Amino acid sequence: MSILLRGIAKQFGEFAAVENINLDVPTGALIALLGPSGCGKTTLLRIIAGLETPDRGQVLFDGKDATSWPIRDRRVGFVFQHYALFRHMTVFENVAFGLKVKPRRERPPAGKIRKKVRSLLELVQLDWAADRYPAQLSGGQKQRVALARALAVDPDVLLLDEPFGALDSQVRHELRRWLRRLHDELHFTSVFVTHDQQEAIEVADTIVVLNRGKIEQCGIPGEIYDLPTSAFVHRFLGQVNELPVRMRQGRAHVGPLDISLNAAAASDGGNSIALIRPHEIEIGPEAAGWSASVLAVRVIGPIVRLELYAEGQSVSEPLEAEISRERYEAERFSVGQKVGLRFRRWQVFPADAALTTPPGAA
Amino acid sequence: MQSRVIAANYDMSDTEVSRAHSPRPRRGPKWGRILLIAAALSFLGIFLALPLLAVFVQALARGVGAYVAAVSDPMAWAAVKLTLRIAATAVPVNLVFGVAAAWAIAKFDFRGKSTLITLIDLPFAVSPVIAGLIFILIFGTHGWFGGYLRAHHIRVVFAVPGIVLATIFVTFPFIARELIPVMQAQGKDDEETALSLGASGWQTFWRVTLPNIRWGLLYGVLLCNARAMGEFGAVSVVSGHIRGLTNTMPLHVEILYNEYNYVGAFAVASLLALLALLTLAGKSFLEWRQPELRHSSRQPPDRTRRERI
Repeated sequence: MSILLRGIAKQFGEFAAVENINLDVPTGALIALLGPSGCGKTTLLRIIAGLETPDRGQVLFDGKDATSWPIRDRRVGFVFQHYALFRHMTVFENVAFGLKVKPRRERPPAGKIRKKVRSLLELVQLDWAADRYPAQLSGGQKQRVALARALAVDPDVLLLDEPFGALDSQVRHELRRWLRRLHDELHFTSVFVTHDQQEAIEVADTIVVLNRGKIEQCGIPGEIYDLPTSAFVHRFLGQVNELPVRMRQGRAHVGPLDISLNAAAASDGGNSIALIRPHEIEIGPEAAGWSASVLAVRVIGPIVRLELYAEGQSVSEPLEAEISRERYEAERFSVGQKVGLRFRRWQVFPADAALTTPPGAA
Repeated sequence: MQSRVIAANYDMSDTEVSRAHSPRPRRGPKWGRILLIAAALSFLGIFLALPLLAVFVQALARGVGAYVAAVSDPMAWAAVKLTLRIAATAVPVNLVFGVAAAWAIAKFDFRGKSTLITLIDLPFAVSPVIAGLIFILIFGTHGWFGGYLRAHHIRVVFAVPGIVLATIFVTFPFIARELIPVMQAQGKDDEETALSLGASGWQTFWRVTLPNIRWGLLYGVLLCNARAMGEFGAVSVVSGHIRGLTNTMPLHVEILYNEYNYVGAFAVASLLALLALLTLAGKSFLEWRQPELRHSSRQPPDRTRRERI
């Protein structure tokens, strides 16, 4: 089922949770709504589910106006961050709930319900836990029960609100891959909310980055990471070094490096900043670039992160660079060593954009 | 300006998972523990066990025969039956009201919510005597509706309806007060899930909400019931103390006591105490019968929502 949002707006008191959102979710897509807390992503998801009514705008399901449909008529499965399992029911009863509450005419016979629940529990690899109570399960298991329960009523749309937010990183990683596989097998339309850019990149076909109730950017994961259209998106998807751009003789510079090539924004003469991802900093001999000293070296599995202080850099925070393990093994940079920096890629944005980033994003 | 590192490309930290490591309580010195336990026990003994014991001792002071005679007195029986009838009316009314009010307050936002919460507490704040007087003022012979009621031969004050009204008024915060925090802590996720799975509002209430709140509800009902049976002040004002007709057990106890009939007074009082003990025993029995339910629905929600991986 395709979902179309047209001019959706929702206000809570004085606070505009979402403003004029237009979004097209084609049938079978897996879309991530990504943004910092308070950006309106959960509100948007709840509007799609029918748990909130928008103040303005329309929600279309397969082209039909579903804005005023009650949730039970929308055929959506909704999965909460905190699972919302019914505590007084066993795992089996939880999954069977949606089938048992159907009106008598539509309700499958008990044997059929049992068979369906069994197969769903097998799908989520929890057939052994059918008689357990939710309190006896781990978080990852609970969330799998919640998914099986949502799938029991054959929803056309699966909506997930930070589904893995309360889990260990290890379990989270497993569940992400599992959700992706499930989606590919079952072909429903999914929308999930997350504040974790890594999760969005790993799972989704399309990422919608939200900020302050508006869509900042919408695109496939690689495109959003490589070509962010705003400083906000650039910062939100991965780590970034920020350095002020200085104009000298009509050329844009960061430190001694000329970055005019990609600095259209800077040539307007205003204050600009250059955003450089850690892996786009190249480290070579001191003479070959911006002279810097190594402050710290941290080996993190396959990559090595270096903290650097570039000569005359105008920010107090050290720069972060990432190089491959192989490169590190070959060069053996050590603390205190003098090196030369170059940038492989960078993006320039007006400096006032720096103010729009919420603190502590991600 | 600073170089800002926003999110690691690898999940090194997982801030959402807070594991509550509760360290084992450190054992204090032995005499300290003994002192504390002794203090707690003697407090319990003096203020709870001793009075209860005294009631039964006094009731049986002249032997079992006198006790049985006092209890089987027709006037005493009438008081017992009236008390049970009143509790059986007031508790269900407050059950429905309490659940409805708690549901509205915990699950919805609306204008005047805080006013409603304050109003629910009103009977706790107002002295029961004043509560009784309010009903005299409204329904009494010279009250607002006195003329109308007299013209239609309806008796409210100095009759059973007045006692029921006063009891409902005095006991109505119990269930709502017990449920509001429980329902607020549980949030709306369960209900919203049930709705998304196709359940109707009714089904959601019976199959999801009610089981989630049942222990809080039971506790509220017990408190409400205990107070309904034991209420003295408000009932005393509206009842008129007509023996065999509008005398509830607490009123009957007072009358007997004022007539220096100590055995009779304490015998009826012991029945009242027995009823209270029975309700408590009933609650313990229910909890004991369904340990896994108690386990699952008693856990504070923030505990179940934490990780145990």
